[in-house]
Amino acid sequence: MTDTPRKNFWSGLGVATVSVVLITWIIPTYGGSGFAFGLPPQLLATLGAWLMLACAAALSIVSFITLKRDGKPLIAFPEFGHFWHQTWPFLYVLAFIVLVDRFPLTWTAPFMIGALLLILGERRWHVVVLSSIIPAAGLYGLTAHLMRIGVV
Amino acid sequence: MIGFDAILSAFIAALHYESIAIIFGGVLLGYIVGVIPGLNRAVAIAIAIPLTFYMSAYAAIAFLIGLSKGTAAGSAVSAILLNTPGEPSSAATCLDGYPMAKNGKPRKALKVGLLASVIGDLLATLLLIAVVIPFASVALKFGPYELTAILVFALVFVAGMAGGSFLKGLAAGGMGIILGTVGLDPETGAARLTFGYAELMEGVPILPLVIGTLALAEMFAQLDEHRRNKGASVIKLGKSSEDSLSYREFKSTLPTIFKSTGVGAFVGALPGLGPTVGAFMAYGLAKRTAKDPDSFGKGNPNGIAAAESADNAVIPASYIPLFGLGIPGSVSAALLVGAFMIHGIQVGPLMLREHPEMLFTLFSGMIVASVLMLVVGWYGLRIFAKVTNVPPHIVIAIVIFLCLAGIQVQGYGTFGLATVFVFSIFGYFLKKFDYSFVTFLVAFIVTPMLEMNLRQSVILSGGDIGILLQRPIALAFVVFTALMVLHLAWTAYRRWLGDRLKARQS
Repeated sequence: MTDTPRKNFWSGLGVATVSVVLITWIIPTYGGSGFAFGLPPQLLATLGAWLMLACAAALSIVSFITLKRDGKPLIAFPEFGHFWHQTWPFLYVLAFIVLVDRFPLTWTAPFMIGALLLILGERRWHVVVLSSIIPAAGLYGLTAHLMRIGVV
Repeated sequence: MIGFDAILSAFIAALHYESIAIIFGGVLLGYIVGVIPGLNRAVAIAIAIPLTFYMSAYAAIAFLIGLSKGTAAGSAVSAILLNTPGEPSSAATCLDGYPMAKNGKPRKALKVGLLASVIGDLLATLLLIAVVIPFASVALKFGPYELTAILVFALVFVAGMAGGSFLKGLAAGGMGIILGTVGLDPETGAARLTFGYAELMEGVPILPLVIGTLALAEMFAQLDEHRRNKGASVIKLGKSSEDSLSYREFKSTLPTIFKSTGVGAFVGALPGLGPTVGAFMAYGLAKRTAKDPDSFGKGNPNGIAAAESADNAVIPASYIPLFGLGIPGSVSAALLVGAFMIHGIQVGPLMLREHPEMLFTLFSGMIVASVLMLVVGWYGLRIFAKVTNVPPHIVIAIVIFLCLAGIQVQGYGTFGLATVFVFSIFGYFLKKFDYSFVTFLVAFIVTPMLEMNLRQSVILSGGDIGILLQRPIALAFVVFTALMVLHLAWTAYRRWLGDRLKARQS
């Protein structure tokens, strides 16, 4: 079996939880309502959520049995270093999105690209400078001159 | 039905220099993207869609098809010179391509790969043209009952065939269905799952969704694996006469190319299987039927020819269900549907009735793209070999920028940036936990069509959904769906039992 049972167990549990929240709260509250001759507005979304729930629950149960049979623990915390390595890119992009929300992307992009290159271990200054400036200059040329929509 | 004059004018339009320039741009960009390890076809199409907003519908689609084809051919370069496939589907090319390049024949290996790619692609494109018109003509006669049954079957088929766990495939399909229903309900006008955001009234915007789940999530995954490819060495192209491909050598690969193109076209026409399955199936077939199977894996040109021709044949063939029925069978086909939607065209059999000139111009554009693939690949060989040297961390940083730029250029603003970020987390989850992305995307794309047909069926039958069992074609697809579910469940159960037995024995 190529799948890790523990991964399957937890992902199945997560998807099942989301689908329960969808079925019991989100779809009934925000799924829309009104009289329909054909399909009620919530029907297809509810069917999708039930499909998710059934499959995710089955996946979790099967993985749970496999884990118990093999005598492996249900919980295995990832190392902090590994967890951080997976998390920081999201935080970096999120911080950058917050920045882009306030300043034009064209001006902030060289800093974003350059900083990311430095974080990833690039130390040749000419590579950092060229890689940072050329895409931003390209975006400037595209938006300000070709599309004429102004600096984004 | 479209006449000969219209077909001729469609071909003339595709051969216009502007059209050729656009397709050339697509093929060239696709080739470069394909050559760079870690950037795949889906990422390329996702970040290129914003560039096509200001093009005409035909130019946009022709550009994206050229891009898609170029990526498939270009990915062989890094597979052969770097032993790192630019696309997962080129992994089979590594098996013989890298040993052949290591044995001092990198140019020969690249040329075999290129010629096999072009022939596979061209033949599959001709097959597409020959098959899709009669296919679409029949599909136009289908009513909502038949289409409902076919769409449900396609979703189950894609979930089962997309690789990995069937349960995860169906769960991903469920996620796609839920997201596909977001927006105003066409019958009651009720806002569904919009949470008060006016931006969601027309549904989840497809561009932030595909850029987030495909491109940005892929870059996060690449960052995670960034250290793995550090230190990989590229094989340089020499000028030795032994390294050039003779006509005789090329001729000896032709039977393999034709057979593998057949395999690739068959696999491509079935939704969900994708080019990786096609390439490995063709490679396996070539090895089994070869006189010297032991030479495979050690630099046999037939191995490269088999993998590349099948890989490239899958792409045009995967457009058969797309143009014939409106069902995207692969991620790149689903992205094309998105591009068609952006340009206000409903892809599927209706195109034959409503936009026949465009359909034929696209087909002729696809043939032009195949020819341009040969030109770009043949004359750009040395340059592309150098592109494989681009360090992945530079690519990652620039692609992240391009993802955000694509959203900003289209004016999605803060909402678009937040959406793209949320979908990047979602896409990362799908990737890390191996939930079928293709099933999710196909479900998201076909849900509005499924809902419309299901609604029409319910209204026409007066609420009796059992009418599906009284229509022969619909009934056949209902039976196929049931058999498919039973077969896949049985296969999964047997695999689970087998694992259990193995665990007991060990």
